[in-house]
Amino acid sequence: MVVNKKINWDLEADVVVLGSGGAALTSALLAHDQGAKVVILEKANQVGGTTAFSGGIPWIPMNRYMKEMGIEDSKEEVNTYLNRLINGSEPDSELVDVFIDNGWKMIDYLHEHTQVRFKIPRGYGDYYADFPGGKVAGRSLDPTPFSLSGLGEYADKIRRNPIFPPLTLEEGGAADPSQADFSLIAERMENNITTMGRALIGAMFQAVLDRSIDTLLETPGKELVMNDNKEVIGVRAERNGKDFFVGARKGVIIATGGFEWNKQLVRSFLKQEVTHAASPAGNEGDGLIMAMEAGASLANMSEAWWYPIMQDPTIEYEDRVFNQLGSGRGVGNSIIVNKQGKRFVHEGTTYMDLPKSFYEFDPVTQTWPNKPPVWLIFDQNLKDRSLVLTMAPGEPAPDWVDQAPTLRELAEKIGVDPEGLESTVERFNSHAEKLEDPDFHRGTQHFENMMGGYQGPKGNIGPVEKAPFYALPIYAGTLGTNGGPRINKNGQVINLRGETIPGLYASGNAAMGVLGACYPGAGGTIGPAMTFGYLAGIDAGNTPSRNIAQTNLIESK
Amino acid sequence: MPSGTHEVQLNLSIDSIWNFISEMNNWAPLVPGYIEHQILSETQSTWKFKGDIGIMQKKVSLQIDITKWQEPDLVTFDLKGLNENFAGNGYFKAEAISDTQTKMTGNLDITAAGMMGPMINPILKSFVPKTATELTDNIANKLKELHPVTK
Repeated sequence: MVVNKKINWDLEADVVVLGSGGAALTSALLAHDQGAKVVILEKANQVGGTTAFSGGIPWIPMNRYMKEMGIEDSKEEVNTYLNRLINGSEPDSELVDVFIDNGWKMIDYLHEHTQVRFKIPRGYGDYYADFPGGKVAGRSLDPTPFSLSGLGEYADKIRRNPIFPPLTLEEGGAADPSQADFSLIAERMENNITTMGRALIGAMFQAVLDRSIDTLLETPGKELVMNDNKEVIGVRAERNGKDFFVGARKGVIIATGGFEWNKQLVRSFLKQEVTHAASPAGNEGDGLIMAMEAGASLANMSEAWWYPIMQDPTIEYEDRVFNQLGSGRGVGNSIIVNKQGKRFVHEGTTYMDLPKSFYEFDPVTQTWPNKPPVWLIFDQNLKDRSLVLTMAPGEPAPDWVDQAPTLRELAEKIGVDPEGLESTVERFNSHAEKLEDPDFHRGTQHFENMMGGYQGPKGNIGPVEKAPFYALPIYAGTLGTNGGPRINKNGQVINLRGETIPGLYASGNAAMGVLGACYPGAGGTIGPAMTFGYLAGIDAGNTPSRNIAQTNLIESK
Repeated sequence: MPSGTHEVQLNLSIDSIWNFISEMNNWAPLVPGYIEHQILSETQSTWKFKGDIGIMQKKVSLQIDITKWQEPDLVTFDLKGLNENFAGNGYFKAEAISDTQTKMTGNLDITAAGMMGPMINPILKSFVPKTATELTDNIANKLKELHPVTK
């Protein structure tokens, strides 16, 4: 329903940014620096969105930090690497080039105009660095530690992932913390020094405050306001339970995150069921809905940043059991099995790739044999050696983890076929002793070798043999969805006729993923998100202002 | 060592307070984040509650052993995690100021150990005093509710 009516703006700006994650803040900063008056509307009562919740790593080829370290990179290498991985799944080939050409410029800009700083993490490179054009280090950038103490009232408003300790990626912030420097962790916690996604957002938000850009928390954008020329000229948001109209003289940038927490949209678009999202629960596709109402064309809608999720049921985040990234997968003394007790995937492959195996369809039985929950099966050797999820070595296993003295009893406990599990483990062990895995090729991928500290196959393969045996369920999860309104090289939203929708931009997980189904390395999410946030901010900031006060308004319903 | 002590003054006799405190079932639901408890013996009980440490909530199971039962003014106890590696102690103390006024003090002292201890203890530093304060205040408010001052 379209209603013609006059609207009195509660607030007017040149550029209205919806969301406060990495893409949103980059857009806001760039739009402001073009001379535009910017206002940020954030749904949550915290700043930072999915980026703050994450590792905060942007994947950016040919960046300045590589040059400083003497790491060679070239567009030809990047193209070779990306083309191999994207494999034709990109929505618009031109935008892959736009990303490559502008990502490093975005990093340069933030370096030169804000306190945002990165470091190249040692030993952390492209996930397929052994492919042509891949790099063993350099393109994934690790935010340097950032003190939130300068953010004043916002210091406690920067969202965080409750599990990530305040360590950089290089220091072990996303790895098994058994080797972590706990005195450093304690010191940073005491001094409110943060790392990873929170550090990135903290430094970016410092720049927002330095520029006096207004940020309204708990003010979700609900509808786009369009004039009779079908130009987006503002937003109907909600604030304190009431409509709150914000006019946008130059444009509205949708950067509200994905739709992974909206079951209806997930069912409508994703090719796979997602039951456990590892992102802020406010990611309900608000921006997608607004863009669709405005007539946006959509792209990459069946894709997400897949992740196998584990849960410690005693840990909750915002009143839900927390969906954790987990650990213990792809290392020695563990395997993953389905309900038949059968292995079905290379357990140490990337988190993006592993869940793709969950929905392998068996046309004979008309079933999905690997449908989650599937099970991480591990033995006392791993339990003794390493942190598994939240279970520390040397401490008794908690009562919420299934354990049994034999594999058969464990299988019976968790509803897995006992014969299947026994024969699977017997076969796996017979090869594991030789550090081989002829079935799924554990110990052969660059990613697992990197995650294992470059120990070779001994870091990834080992028999499941020492009782007691343990089982943890693994669920179909995501770091966020990866589809949304189709955008052009300026981040402008395209309609179904291939024309831009004047005044409307999208970036980050709220927009189509420009790399399609490809996840080239850590930060394959945030790198393109911030790059297109950068481009959208520049374009929106430089767009001529429109007279939105005198327009006969149409509110889209 | 993360600890917290909180005291309140009540216009009640020490016996009124003791009558309430000495029956665990009276005040168990007043523990912040209380889920359930089970009395195993005169001196031993197990508890489940959900601790809210701001960035997340953690369900904790712990065992409490009463170490001193000194009617009408002191209960001391030890506690230890059943699923987690932490331990500590605490006390409730009542001091008569007059026949109708009593000072009630609650104390908690909890330290996490093991691999994760150094990371958890900075969080407990703010959580433990907050919990001690909330519990003591909750008990005081309940006592005020049960014994309203009549004019």
